[in-house]
Amino acid sequence: MSDDLVKILDGNTFVVSDQAGDIEASRDDPTGLFSYDTRFISTWVLTINGERLNPLSVDDLQYFETRFFLVPGTGTVYIDAKLSVIRRREVGMGFHEELTILNHSDKPVRLTVRLDAGSDFADLFEVKDDLRKKGKYSTEIKGRELRLRYQREEFRRQTTVSASQRARIDSKGMTFTCRIEPHGEWTTDLDVVPVVAALEDVAQARAARRISMQRNLERWLAQAPRVECDWEPLRRIYQRSLVDLAALRFSPPIAGGRSLPAAGLPWFMTMFGRDSIFTSLQALPFVPELAATTLLALGDWQGSRVDDFRDEDPGRILHEMRYGEMTAFEERPHSPYYGCADATPLYIVLLDEYERWTGDRKLVRDLEIEARAALNWIDEYADLRGDGYVWYKRRNEKTGLENQCWKDSWDSISYRDGRLPGFPRATCELQGYAYDAKLRGARLARSVWKDPDLADRLEKDAADLKRRFNRDFWVADDEYFALALDPDGNQVDALGSNNGHLLWSGIVDKSKAKAVARHLMGSKLFSGWGVRTLAEGEARYNPIGYHVGTVWPFDNSFVAWGLRRYGFKEEAARIALGILEAADFFDGRLPEAFGGSERSQTKYPVQYPTACSPQAWSTGAPLLFLRTMLGIEPHGDHLAVDPALPRRIGHLELLDIPGRWGRIDAFGRGRVNAGGRSSRR
Amino acid sequence: MAAMAATTTEEFFDALGRQGHEPLMSRGNGTIRVELTDGKKSERWFVKVSRGDVEVARTGRGEADCVVRGTRELFDRLVSGRTNPVVALLRGDLWFEGDYNLAILFQRLFPDPPRSRKKTAS
Repeated sequence: MSDDLVKILDGNTFVVSDQAGDIEASRDDPTGLFSYDTRFISTWVLTINGERLNPLSVDDLQYFETRFFLVPGTGTVYIDAKLSVIRRREVGMGFHEELTILNHSDKPVRLTVRLDAGSDFADLFEVKDDLRKKGKYSTEIKGRELRLRYQREEFRRQTTVSASQRARIDSKGMTFTCRIEPHGEWTTDLDVVPVVAALEDVAQARAARRISMQRNLERWLAQAPRVECDWEPLRRIYQRSLVDLAALRFSPPIAGGRSLPAAGLPWFMTMFGRDSIFTSLQALPFVPELAATTLLALGDWQGSRVDDFRDEDPGRILHEMRYGEMTAFEERPHSPYYGCADATPLYIVLLDEYERWTGDRKLVRDLEIEARAALNWIDEYADLRGDGYVWYKRRNEKTGLENQCWKDSWDSISYRDGRLPGFPRATCELQGYAYDAKLRGARLARSVWKDPDLADRLEKDAADLKRRFNRDFWVADDEYFALALDPDGNQVDALGSNNGHLLWSGIVDKSKAKAVARHLMGSKLFSGWGVRTLAEGEARYNPIGYHVGTVWPFDNSFVAWGLRRYGFKEEAARIALGILEAADFFDGRLPEAFGGSERSQTKYPVQYPTACSPQAWSTGAPLLFLRTMLGIEPHGDHLAVDPALPRRIGHLELLDIPGRWGRIDAFGRGRVNAGGRSSRR
Repeated sequence: MAAMAATTTEEFFDALGRQGHEPLMSRGNGTIRVELTDGKKSERWFVKVSRGDVEVARTGRGEADCVVRGTRELFDRLVSGRTNPVVALLRGDLWFEGDYNLAILFQRLFPDPPRSRKKTAS
C-alpha cells in the first residue's frame, strides 16, 4: 500500500484514508474503516459548497488519533484561503470525527457542507483478492442516523453514521447548511459505529472497560523498562517499537479484555499463532503480560477436532483467525485455520520462557491440559512419516496453506538447483522447535506438573531427535543444515537463515556450531544489514524475493539469539547493529522485510514492495536485540547479564526490567567482551 | 473429549452428564445455559462447570454466567459435527452472551466433522 495513506488503529479496528481524511475505496484498495475483517466504510468524502478539500498538513497525534488541516479547493494555490477546516479523527469503536470549519474573513459566510458516506462491506479477503459480494445492501434513515446495511442469510453487518448537528440525511450521506460569523467557527461531531450483531455483546463489554486510550498508552510506556544509550537512534527505535507494539495489541473477543499482539497492519490485525508467539517471546523482558494473554487465548482456541477443512488436529495451535463473511460462509477456512506446523511446539517454548522470566507457575498449571495436548500433537499428529520428525502436508487442498512454516510462500523451500520438493515436508527449524519444546516441556513436567515420568520420556525423545537430526539434516560437504527433508527423506539442500533458528533451539551439536555460524556471517547469507532468508548463489535466490533472499528483521533477531546461545557474541552483536542501523533508515520502524542486496551496493536498505508496516514481529525485533546485546538471561530468581555491544554503542542501560526478581537494571559498556553488571532495586 | 459419538442434543448432554469430568473444561468455572428453540417450543439445558467437573440439568436456578442460544436444529448439527460452531457464530445462527471464555471452552466439546480423518503420509 502506498505510504502517503494515513492509518490509525485500535486493535482490529482501523481507518485508512488519504491525506485529506477522505476515503474513496475501490474494490481492491485497502482504504476505509475496517473492523472484524470487514470494511464498514468505503466512501467518506467531505465537500464544502461542492468543492473537495486540500490538505495543508496532517498531525499523527497518536496511533489512534490524527488531525487533518485542510482548505477548500483542489488547486495548489490557497494563499488567499478564507476558510480552513480541521478534521480530528479518533478510532475506537468505529471512529469519531470532530469537524471544525473556521471563517477567517470579516464577513459572515453561508456554507453547504456535504459528507458522502457509503460501505461495500467487503471482507478483507475480498479486498486482498478482488472478489464479488453475494448478499444484499440496504439503507435506512432513522432519526439522526444513517444506517448502511448488508445481509446474507442471517449474516448481518451494519454501519451507523450520525452527527451532532442537524443535517439532511439521504441514503448516500448527509448535508449540513451553516452560517459562520466573521472570525467564527462551526463544528459538528460525526460518529461511525460498526455493528456486528453476534459479536456486539463483546464490543460493548470492551467499550465499558475502555479507559482513555491516551492514559492507556501512557501507562503502557511508563511500565516498560527504560533504555539509556549513547547511540541516539537506539533510544528512538526503542520508543517507536513500544508505541507500535501498543498499537498492535488486540483484544480478541475471548481474552477477557486482555490483549495480545496482532500480526500487522492492514491485512493482519487478527490473532495469528506464530506471529503472536514470536512477538511475545521478543517482548518478554519488557512487557511479559503479552505472553500471558497469548498463551491463554491460543490455549482457549487450541484444536480439539480432526477437521480437514481447517487442517485442525487435537492439540494443534491455530494459525489464523478471521471474522469476515468469507470465513462465515466457509469460503475460507479461518474459523480458525490451523495449518501451521511451528506454532504448536513454539507454544511450549513460550510457556516455559514465560515462567522462567515471571515465575508465574499458576499459569503453567492452568494450561497443563493444553500444554500436554500440544506436546502430544508433535508426536501423534505431526509425525506424518512415522520417523520422529515434524512434517506438514495440508489436508485442505483448495484453500489451505502449502508451506506451514514461517516461510510460507510457494517457492520458499527449494533444493540448491531450484527444484521444489513434494509433500510432506519436514523443514529443519521445525525439528529444532520440537526439540526445544520437549526439553522445556520436560522442565515444566518435572517442576510444575510433578510428572517425572513424562519429563524423562520427553528428555529421552529430545536426545534421540537431536542425534538423528544432526545425522540426517547435515550437509556434510558444505557443513550446514539442509532446509528440509523431502517426502523420500532426502535432503532439500539449499542454505537458508533457518540455520540460525536451529542455533536458537539448541538442537545443533556443539561440534557443528562453528561451521553454522561461519555460514550465517559469510557473504552468501550476511548482506551487511542482516542475514538473508536464502543464500546468494542458490538457484532461487532473489534479493527482493519474499522468502528467497530478502532480510527479515524478525528472523534476524532469532538468528542473533541463536548465535548468543552458542557463544558467538560478537556475531550476534554485528547482526543486531546491522538491523538497528537499517531501522534508523526507516525512521525507527522496521518493515516486515527489506531487500537482500549487498550493503555496499545500495548504501541504504530497500524496503520490500508490499511489506506490512507496522508489523508485530518486526516491531519486536529491536526488543530482542536489546536482550541479546545485553546478554540478559534468567537464572532462577536472578537475572544474569553478559553484555556484548557492537561498535558504535559505547554504553547501554536497560532500567527496570520486570520479572521474578521484581525490577532490575542491566548495564553494558564498551565494545564486545566488555564487562557488565546488574543491580537490583 | 471431543469425539463424543452423539447424534442428537439429548445424547450429547446425556453423555456429558455421565462423564462427570471434562478435562477440556478444566479452566472453566460457572454455569452455561443453553437455550434452544424449535418453532414455538423452546428447551433449556444447564451445564454447571467447576474446574472441569460437569453437571448437566434441565432446570436451573439463578443467573447463568454464559448463555448459548440457537435453534434446536442447529444444535443437533453442532453436536454431530455437521456444523462448525465458529461458523455458526459468525453467521449469526448461534449466539453467545456473558462469559465468552466459558462458551469458547464449551464449543471444544463438539465432535469432529464427518469424513475428516487423521492423516498419515501418502
